[in-house]
Amino acid sequence: MRRPRFRSLAGGAAGIAAGVIGGVVLTSVSTAGPTPVAAGPVLIDATHVPAVLTLPGEAIRLRYGLVCTPRADGLPCDGSGTVYLRAGQSGPFRAYVLQRGDESRDGRYYLDVPAEIADSRDGFSYYATLRDEATGATVSLPSGGADAPQVSLPLREPLTVELGRHLFGAVRDPDARVAEAGWGSRPDEVGLVGSRELGYSGPSSFDVEPDGTVDMLDSVNGRVMRWARGRLEYVRLAGALDLADFAAEPDGSFDVLDDAGTLRSFRADGSPRWAQKLADRTWAQLVRGPTVLQQPSEQWMPVAQDGAPLSRAGQKRGAHTAKHLANGHALLLDRVGEGELRLAELRGNASVQAWRITSETPLGEVQLAESHGNGLVVVMRAYTDERDEFVVLVLGSRGLVQRFSVASGSWTETAPLARFRLSRGRLYRLRTTQTGAFVDRFDLEVPQ
Amino acid sequence: MRAFLAMAVAGFALSGVTGAQAYHRFWANCTADSPTFMTTMTRDAAQDYANAARYEGYQWGGGCWNYDDVDSYPNDPPQETGTHGEGGDCSGLTFKTWRESTDTWRDGRYYWRALRNVHGPYDAAAFRDGNGAPNHVVAKATAGVMDAFASGTHIGMIFVRSLYGGDQIVEAKCESCGTNIFYRTYRSDSAYGGVGRWGWTG
Repeated sequence: MRRPRFRSLAGGAAGIAAGVIGGVVLTSVSTAGPTPVAAGPVLIDATHVPAVLTLPGEAIRLRYGLVCTPRADGLPCDGSGTVYLRAGQSGPFRAYVLQRGDESRDGRYYLDVPAEIADSRDGFSYYATLRDEATGATVSLPSGGADAPQVSLPLREPLTVELGRHLFGAVRDPDARVAEAGWGSRPDEVGLVGSRELGYSGPSSFDVEPDGTVDMLDSVNGRVMRWARGRLEYVRLAGALDLADFAAEPDGSFDVLDDAGTLRSFRADGSPRWAQKLADRTWAQLVRGPTVLQQPSEQWMPVAQDGAPLSRAGQKRGAHTAKHLANGHALLLDRVGEGELRLAELRGNASVQAWRITSETPLGEVQLAESHGNGLVVVMRAYTDERDEFVVLVLGSRGLVQRFSVASGSWTETAPLARFRLSRGRLYRLRTTQTGAFVDRFDLEVPQ
Repeated sequence: MRAFLAMAVAGFALSGVTGAQAYHRFWANCTADSPTFMTTMTRDAAQDYANAARYEGYQWGGGCWNYDDVDSYPNDPPQETGTHGEGGDCSGLTFKTWRESTDTWRDGRYYWRALRNVHGPYDAAAFRDGNGAPNHVVAKATAGVMDAFASGTHIGMIFVRSLYGGDQIVEAKCESCGTNIFYRTYRSDSAYGGVGRWGWTG
């Protein structure tokens, strides 16, 4: 073998150096560079808290926020808008120009509803369009526009329920524990992920079927755990389940609504049936149907009809302000201010009975509102800056029938309005602790 | 020349074997530009800013994103700043949206471009406690648009109150769920406190 000459050695060393440098440079270019800074799509969004139930004589100011592509000078959008109003729920709309105010805390754009419309015995209906003058982009709110306007009714002769100051610590124990599982991934366990720094996530929702079967969405292990007639079974599901909401349909299928706004329908054996994106950007709650409370429209939107998914346009057209109740009626609900809840049960467009609930302790979200006997069950949260508990109210034609408190603490995060379900006149609660997940049952008095 | 070429090929191959490539390099596109001092800061302009960060991802310890509506590096391992992916984390998004200074004693308004990589000096717990000159604790019942709710592990800003008593919250939530507007019940959850930014001008 010939001994390498100096030129060969130098050439080889230079080659290695050149190769390494070239490789590093190319690697850097391919990974670091240039992920283009996109100009981005034109952004347009709007916010509005609807005036769903108003008191006679109450001044009604409709407020809107307009959200657009951020301006380079850091100022808010240069916007405008129009509200289309009509008395009652039929007939032509009339256009009113929104005023632009100096404050945006409650929405920069506003309209004081004219007295002749605000005082209408049949209430009024409305929608708005807002425009960003810089880009010409427009947005309608609700997203269905004239096809599915927002509805506002006067709260006439409501039954008044004064809750006073909430007494924390006097919670009711459940009447029965109907499902429980420790943390883990075995067939009889429910999954838990997370850390002390990030918080924990476990079963994000549940449902109770008419025959008493309890279904818990085991998000971490990708399955539904089913407690039926004393036996535990499970059905495997595919797809994103973290913080998803869940509903068991009467035909045995399951609906799962993920946090990215996609509703997936599964057959009873867990095989996927269809998936559909929601019409609006945000959701609050999934109920059987499937129907989803969506934002910013703040309306219930059907996501399927006769077992087939509805297009996003179809969801918008089918949106309604009132929630459909199991007794065939509908419910308008309005959480007003810090401690007031207004409710009106409707048959068609007519109010059957109404309640006005006030509390000296601030009220949070309404977790559940369903028909029960000849009245309603409402579960909402009372809170201070340090404490919180759920308050269960059974409301009847003479006012408050039953009231009790339920502990709210939970070890894991769930879908936002998935802590309670009502089935066969009984209230069920999903709760998690350091040791596992449970579904408890509370028996209720029945309003006559 | 033959030796040079042969060794160049070998060297090129070796460069791919070793650690020449960092985990992600989205941060290589980010800037270190100074913020723009501003005299105004409205809540709806803050909504614009936070809303534009939607879909841009989540990065633990991060604060840099573009506006292409795509998380360039989704589903990184959680709690690792070294992944250098796109997006802010919850406190980074709040810091930039609230136009705060990296100096905790300054309460002026500093506009940070989306691609400026800055997280700020506060974590969620510091915001919850109202630490820093620009921040303060507010009663949860009175918290309004672009105030925030913070716990020991998370912070999200109120995009708008919702009809059923919860809130639409704009937040950098997690690696798998990214940055978006979600319906949340933080207002009534005793794990969360209310926190606000001094100095809104409208």
